[in-house]
Amino acid sequence: MSHLTDEELVLHHFGEAEDPAAVAHLSECAACRAALEALRGDLEAVPVPEPPERGADYGAQVWARLQPHLDAAPVIPVEQARAGRQKMRRVWAPIGLAASLVLAFLLGRHWPHEAPSPVSPAARERILLVAVGDHLERSEMLLVELVNAGADGQPVDISAQQQYAEELVGANRLYRQTVVRAGEPGMASLLDELERLLVEVAHRPSSMSPSDLADIRSRIESRGLLFRVRVIETQVREKEKETTKTAAGTHVS
Amino acid sequence: MTRPGNDLTAGAAERLTERMVGGEDEAQAVTRARGGDTEAFRFLVERHSRGVFRLAFRMTGNEHDAEDVVQETFLKAYRKLSAFEERAQFGSWVHRIAANCAYDLLRARVRHDDRLDRTEGPDGDRTMTVPADDPSPERLVAGGEVRRRLRATLARMSALERSAFTLRHVEGMSIAEISRALDLDASAAKQSVFRAVRKLRQALGEQARWGITT
Repeated sequence: MSHLTDEELVLHHFGEAEDPAAVAHLSECAACRAALEALRGDLEAVPVPEPPERGADYGAQVWARLQPHLDAAPVIPVEQARAGRQKMRRVWAPIGLAASLVLAFLLGRHWPHEAPSPVSPAARERILLVAVGDHLERSEMLLVELVNAGADGQPVDISAQQQYAEELVGANRLYRQTVVRAGEPGMASLLDELERLLVEVAHRPSSMSPSDLADIRSRIESRGLLFRVRVIETQVREKEKETTKTAAGTHVS
Repeated sequence: MTRPGNDLTAGAAERLTERMVGGEDEAQAVTRARGGDTEAFRFLVERHSRGVFRLAFRMTGNEHDAEDVVQETFLKAYRKLSAFEERAQFGSWVHRIAANCAYDLLRARVRHDDRLDRTEGPDGDRTMTVPADDPSPERLVAGGEVRRRLRATLARMSALERSAFTLRHVEGMSIAEISRALDLDASAAKQSVFRAVRKLRQALGEQARWGITT
């Protein structure tokens, strides 16, 4: 048998050698054993990031951060979910309208040929951050509902979610245009992906089969959309706090 | 440092210990959590938080990202409890979810961090590049340079290569487990590990040309 390939050596090193002939060859071939030893030495030089220490109460801290989010996560019985959605619909519709008005105002101020804005750039940034943060929070709630829908394997009526999705699409488009102008390509890219999903949800048939739901769920999960929405939302909220602090400092001085 | 071959890596040893200690309590907690008992889920979260954090940190190399991964992992686990097979080990299952979350985050970081250059890898998986600083020969021979180079090589890898390599080399997951955790077929997971090893050895080869040994 010829000498082992690099790939065979790697598999052997990790204890995953599959070919018995290769394993037998290794016991007979000094050159291959030397090559394996060299590989072993190289991989031992690879630095392993040492995680920072966590205190004895770390588990409790994680739980404290996690618990408030669990309310949105569990699979809710259909009737209960429907009642909740009706309530949410009443709340969300005016919020969506308000968001659109805020954004229309902000967009107006971003046109280059407008008259000088009575609102300072810092105040405008704060308004934008608050609005985008709220939008991402609402989008997250919708994504969580879609991920959890139909866990019992029965068809689900998503007409309420579709209505939310339609409301979010309009606001999302405005936010996306605004963040593009504000020079935030990362956020713009996320909003672009979010918008495509929202449009798709809004235009699907209202009665979703388990396989349709699995398809939507897979789109959300495979692209890490929900996770990314949460990450960007956290970043936006942190930036919002920073700008508020800076503004407060400016007023004091 | 991890041990090669059939020896246990740190991650595998931790999971094995967890199986041996209090496995009965854990099985009961999983059953109760699946029935909607949040206190039982709390027990599971508190028990596995450290292990999940360690895995997340080793994959992302960043404390803040690791904390995000911990939170996302347990949220996902909670939502998917009904899909968990009770015969399986909760610890292994939650570690696979964590690996998947960390992989998603690495991919998202490449897409969104406009402070980093981005290039398209041959397999369509994006790679991240770190700013190159060409050191002088004198600096190259300074202590720790080999490790710095290897760290930079890891940072330049695609999210998939870095994730697969870390899970195999550091966490001691088998290729089959990696493919399940990252939603890949086994061949793709294996090839990613091969590519990662090749890149690391190339980096060491460059070092050798400067006359530096580990």
